[in-house]
Amino acid sequence: MGEERDLLERRVTREDLFKLAAAAGGAGLLASRAGGAAAALERLTTESGRLQVLDWAGYGNDGGQPLFASYVKKYPRDKPQFTYMTNESDALAKIHAGLKPDLFRPYVGWVKYFATSGLVQPWDTSLISNFKHLNPFMVKAGQYNGKQYGIPEDWGFDAILYRSDKVTPKARSWGLLFDERYKGKIAWFDDLGMLVMTGLYLGFKDPWNQSDAELKQSQQLLISKKHLVRLIWASEADLWQAFGSGDLWIAYAWPNDWVQMKKKGLQVVYMHPKEKPIAWVGMMMLLNGTPRYHLAHAYVDAWSSTQSAKWLEDNYGYGHANTLARPASSDLLHALQLTNPKAVTEPNAHLDRDIPRRAVYAKLWEEVKAS
Amino acid sequence: MEREAAAGDSSAGRRRRLLRRVDLTTPGLLGLPLAWLVIFFVVPIAIVAAYSFDIYSLFPGNHGFTLGAWRGFAHDPVYLRLFWKSVQMSLIVSTIIVVLAYPLAYYLALSGTKRKYILLLVLIAPFLTSYLLRVLAWKVILGDQGVVNSFLFWTGLRSPGNPISQLLYSRFAVMLVLGYIWLPFVALPIFVSLESLDRRLLEAATDLGASRLQAFRRVTLPLSTPGIVAAFLFVFIPTLGEFVTPSLVGGATGYMYGNQIVDLFGTGFPDWETGSVLAIFLLGVVTVLTVAFSRFLQPRQAAN
Repeated sequence: MGEERDLLERRVTREDLFKLAAAAGGAGLLASRAGGAAAALERLTTESGRLQVLDWAGYGNDGGQPLFASYVKKYPRDKPQFTYMTNESDALAKIHAGLKPDLFRPYVGWVKYFATSGLVQPWDTSLISNFKHLNPFMVKAGQYNGKQYGIPEDWGFDAILYRSDKVTPKARSWGLLFDERYKGKIAWFDDLGMLVMTGLYLGFKDPWNQSDAELKQSQQLLISKKHLVRLIWASEADLWQAFGSGDLWIAYAWPNDWVQMKKKGLQVVYMHPKEKPIAWVGMMMLLNGTPRYHLAHAYVDAWSSTQSAKWLEDNYGYGHANTLARPASSDLLHALQLTNPKAVTEPNAHLDRDIPRRAVYAKLWEEVKAS
Repeated sequence: MEREAAAGDSSAGRRRRLLRRVDLTTPGLLGLPLAWLVIFFVVPIAIVAAYSFDIYSLFPGNHGFTLGAWRGFAHDPVYLRLFWKSVQMSLIVSTIIVVLAYPLAYYLALSGTKRKYILLLVLIAPFLTSYLLRVLAWKVILGDQGVVNSFLFWTGLRSPGNPISQLLYSRFAVMLVLGYIWLPFVALPIFVSLESLDRRLLEAATDLGASRLQAFRRVTLPLSTPGIVAAFLFVFIPTLGEFVTPSLVGGATGYMYGNQIVDLFGTGFPDWETGSVLAIFLLGVVTVLTVAFSRFLQPRQAAN
């Protein structure tokens, strides 16, 4: 009865019908296309229940609603329900512990890991109308073995945020996070990526795949400089509070942190270190066996729209893979180099990548915190 | 004779039935709480222990009994050093607040004031607000531009460009906030033990020529020892595994053993095996401590 009522109450919008009609178009393939369209309609109307999204704080019903507003408008009965992840490991632990999201958002460095984990399946990009507007370089970064496992959405950098009225860097370098002059005013980020950053600072050939000796050296540097650090932040809210109240002057940060601190009226600079920032791209991934396959595609399509992209840029200060979107602020446009389609890679930045020995990195980072 | 024997049999049967009923009453009453304890305490701990031996694992694949994670824990000084750091912090917090709470509880219990229950209510009033709120309020007080530093700037004891930064995001901040949070928990058991003190013993001590200090040392203090020990354990055990307060006000230096357990389960790359080892080790230490101290929880033994 419940299912019947769902079917009766579901509205297929005019746009859906146009899409289906378009899909059914094409003279030579009319019959088969019409059959496919009918099957798509059938699936859309039988997929039901709230879409289960595992995403980061700020991207759900906690302020990120405009990012998926067009999806909610189109499927008001299947509104997304959010579980929040603090990082990819947290997501991994939640999924293995029994959480069954339809889709989730790891970042580009985890594409290979998840694609080979058996937990996710490739997307059908033909079901995502805005896919053609997405940055081709980032689209490629979401592929593994030629299949599109990740749909790129938000992107940005890991770099250094500092108070220009309090701090005078000796050089444009990651070394500012180890500067003895600012003891007690520095914040690091609680992530094993700190070892990658340290590897960049030390000039290692491949900071994502350091040898044991290199890792030891990176870890030793972090341990020896930890006394300078006041906060190792895991949540942006903690960073904003501490930075905004003057407890911190220097932080490992994301573009959004720079935007938020500027909004507070602080004189802040988002430094582009000479060793280059680490760039990241959020990749929507589709879980294997999801019962809401088409709804998940529709949700990602909404996220990929130009309106959502512009809202993300204007409000969160992150870039978006949609190449048509432009933020209102020319400062942000400049800082993120949004006109540069390869802003996230060489020679501008290091695109984050797979860490083959992730468990080793994690253990060493935990030891830094515990030291 | 047969009738008497029959009557005797019948009486014995009734007694047996009664005894059987009594026998059933005890397990009947204890059954639910015991089942609760087994399902929600023993079984989860057994599961965590199974993770620590890799009998269960977060990741699919071949797993079997191994002591690898335990060996790693025993040979990695980082974890044990962190545990010792947490023990020290908890010991300092527990000792200081027991010392601070004792006079408070003494006054409330023995001063004879009629308002003692009102004062007790005032003491536990902060418990009516959110734990998180109480911790976060300290950020406002201890920050570089917080209440304490602003006062120091105002008095000229510090210049605005030179605040005391060690107040927040430090071990000190963690211990201060933990002490504040747990103070009522310490005061209550001591208050109860002092409140139930037989006042005639104090009168007898006075009659026998003891001074007030001697009466306190020889009568009041020994008899309130169970309350002191209970109060100490009430604070020491939970603060040893604390992770919320350190993550909010501890910063890089206030990181505790409990934070390490949380991080091993959730951040970096999930390592439930090592996280479980750390958790079981903590549980073991707490159990040993509780057993060791439990003899002091008996008033007679304490008094002796």
